[in-house]
Amino acid sequence: MRRDKNLPLTETVYYILLALKEPTHGYVLMQKVEELSDGQVRLAAGTLYGAIENLLKKEFIISMPSDDVRRKVYALSQTGESILRADYQRMSHILKITEQILNGGAPK
Amino acid sequence: MKKIKFFIDFHKEEQWLVKMAAQGWQLKKQGPVYTFESAAPEQPTIKIDYRHFKKQADFIEYRSLFEDSGWQHISGTKHSGNQYFKRKGAYDDDIFSDTASRAGRYKRLADMMLSIFILFLPIVFISISKGTLGIDYLLNPKTLYFTPGLWEMSGAKFWGRFLFETPFALMRGFSWSISLALIILYVLMTIKSWLLYRKAMNDDDV
Repeated sequence: MRRDKNLPLTETVYYILLALKEPTHGYVLMQKVEELSDGQVRLAAGTLYGAIENLLKKEFIISMPSDDVRRKVYALSQTGESILRADYQRMSHILKITEQILNGGAPK
Repeated sequence: MKKIKFFIDFHKEEQWLVKMAAQGWQLKKQGPVYTFESAAPEQPTIKIDYRHFKKQADFIEYRSLFEDSGWQHISGTKHSGNQYFKRKGAYDDDIFSDTASRAGRYKRLADMMLSIFILFLPIVFISISKGTLGIDYLLNPKTLYFTPGLWEMSGAKFWGRFLFETPFALMRGFSWSISLALIILYVLMTIKSWLLYRKAMNDDDV
């Protein structure tokens, strides 16, 4: 099986996609990423704008008009969700195999 | 107060604007000159991004995101490229949170300079193909004059025709040198912004 060239996702992209499971504005997204990552990933405005632009181009997320004309709402697309799940699978495997080796589980 | 200054290095420009603010000069508008307003001296954080926007809605969204996170947009339009942001207080704060995006502004600037240079390229090709790439003019300024038999004339007739054509001849030589100067300028600016991009990619503190 050939792996998607977008994998692995960066930590930033992973958290942005995860946070957008629930559609939201850019600024709320910034706060949500910080919250989901336990304060580890703090995105500045310019960096987040660039990341959003890039994810829109890749069609991992979509933008929707909102009742607030000054702010768009972003949401995870189907492509975005499948790439997020693929990266989750990849990391689950890493966790499982690491557990076996480091904590003395039986190797397969 | 208006000031004329030119920067490629955003970091140096930011430092200069902070210094101006400390002396009581608040940036009001940039492009093509810097317009400052007299204000109480302060120590703000000023950061510059480089972006163009296709749609007005995208530009508004961009500014809202910065304003929501505490950055006041002080100057910049949809097509100006340079976008100036200010935050009160000299925090160790930035509009970028990683090296790649901090360097990305120089990449976008370099791409823009390069595309302007490419727009100028046809002028170079036309000049070369017509054989009017100014070098001949410098070596032999006589070729700038088109009056038939001018250089065989003498006395008042020569001076009359010569002086009549001189403004046109200068324009021929001069307009070419403006194009050449612009082309060289854009090549240099492309190289400079590319080097700043490379430097920013290798540097975590710029």
